[in-house]
Amino acid sequence: MEFSAKNDPRAASLPFVYTPYPAIGMSPQVLDNYIVGNDPETGTPIIDEIIGLLTKPVPTKKSPTQSPVAAEAGLPPELLEPDTEDNLQRLFYERGWTDGLPIVLPTEERVKAMLAGTNAAPDEVVSESFQFATREMVKYTVEHVAVIAVMAGARPEYFPVILAIAASRQPALMPSTTAFESMLLVNGPIRNEIGMNCGIGAYTAVNMANSVLGRAWTLMSICHGFARPKQTLWSSQGNNHTYNNMCAGENEERSVWEPFHVSKGFKAEESVVSTFMGWSFLSSTGAASNRSFGEELNIQLAVMPPLGSAATIIMDPLVARNLKENEGFTTKQDFARWMSENIKMPAGQYWKTDYIDMLVASEAYKGVEPYASWKKLPDDALIAPYNNPDNINLIVVGGETSPLWKVADYRYGGSASVDRWRALSSDDECADGSCGLPDDVTDADND
Amino acid sequence: MAYEIRLQVMSPEVGVEKSPGRPPPGMGGPPPPGMGAPAPSSSSFTKRLDTLENKTLYLVDIGFGGGYNFMVQLQKWFTKHMPSVTTVVKRKPGNVFMDDNHELWEEAKEKGHAVVLGVAG
Repeated sequence: MEFSAKNDPRAASLPFVYTPYPAIGMSPQVLDNYIVGNDPETGTPIIDEIIGLLTKPVPTKKSPTQSPVAAEAGLPPELLEPDTEDNLQRLFYERGWTDGLPIVLPTEERVKAMLAGTNAAPDEVVSESFQFATREMVKYTVEHVAVIAVMAGARPEYFPVILAIAASRQPALMPSTTAFESMLLVNGPIRNEIGMNCGIGAYTAVNMANSVLGRAWTLMSICHGFARPKQTLWSSQGNNHTYNNMCAGENEERSVWEPFHVSKGFKAEESVVSTFMGWSFLSSTGAASNRSFGEELNIQLAVMPPLGSAATIIMDPLVARNLKENEGFTTKQDFARWMSENIKMPAGQYWKTDYIDMLVASEAYKGVEPYASWKKLPDDALIAPYNNPDNINLIVVGGETSPLWKVADYRYGGSASVDRWRALSSDDECADGSCGLPDDVTDADND
Repeated sequence: MAYEIRLQVMSPEVGVEKSPGRPPPGMGGPPPPGMGAPAPSSSSFTKRLDTLENKTLYLVDIGFGGGYNFMVQLQKWFTKHMPSVTTVVKRKPGNVFMDDNHELWEEAKEKGHAVVLGVAG
């Protein structure tokens, strides 16, 4: 090759050519048509662009890390112009600030009321989010999150949970062309304090706290994450779970095992929100009445080869109780280890899965075990792809009307403290053990 | 009834606090495990060629699904329409999102005259 030269107009920054999409899964003829067809960004034949970019000087462009919007942005208006509710609802929708459903309009009065749900200062930075459109990190404060909480329909007592979700810095929506889905799990006393449903119909759209908390996460991604179709949202089919992100509390009271947050190092009395993300989700049609629960899992998990051994099993308390009392799994870790050793699938099925080939095959070629050994096996050899039991998440949710379960390929994203954002710390509130009781009777109450 | 609505936080393009940053593969926060994006290179690029005639062109698949087949078809195009161009199709070793393989880049520098790198998305 010829020499490199800074400031040489013939050595400009990396030029891009855009093909139509997708490239994945397309026939050779389609790819041939892409090559001789036009770049959708420029309208110029792609092959001409490739040859031209390799042989002609390229105009110097701004570095991709520059932020033109930041340089040009002036002081924004603090408030929208006053208008009717109908007009404002329409404006929010048309500007892409909603999830498609009507929102609660975030008036100053409502935002102020929401801020009473936390002890944190309104200007405290909670999170930051990368903006693909401007290539900037944008910081969000408690007040910014309060606006989202109002829009989602939250009560002030939900606000610490929503702040914890924001503080997790995990997005509910991803810009992938695939159909990511996300999940929220709440543990600890806050579940009952705000009336979350952890039992019958926990994943049915009937409970305000479950619905609103999950919705708030998606609204954060839309408004703070600047999620816009064909700009930062490219999922070909999208994912309906993102309306409330499978939000529920764990049924700690009816579970025979330790709560999820305790297995992640938190104290049982702490309130915590945990995030999960993946693609595939399967809800059991019936109970494990003719095969064991483990056999059922073996069948179901075989259709979703795992990335990094990640799986999430959400089981009714009846299932967990049966595993402990009748099958000898004293702890959830015992059952995760059993799954890790006994859930099998053919090596060929594993390696011929698109995302495994794309993301895991490279590890095998680098010699990383067990992938390197699995790569050498014949297609029909059985492997145990859930090789790391620590990445198998076992959660107990449900109302004990049937021993059902849900299986997902979700990986654990992380956990964030809710107590960090409370209006008053749990210890202070409950110092005399009277947590959750009505206020003392006053003269006003007797009027 | 008229409402006054806080505009400031609704739309980042109208100005909440901003600072330069690097893109993670997600919309915010740390990237998923194993999918961290490396820091963008600050290297400049080699001078453009005057012509591709009798040159060697490396067609490097980054490992994203469909990329290798695209490069194979691109190789066939050059074989048919510009036969004096030698093309070499390679798949970048390592994770599609993470590994920056210096051996391949050194090979391309030594044996090639230009590189086409792709395809993402």
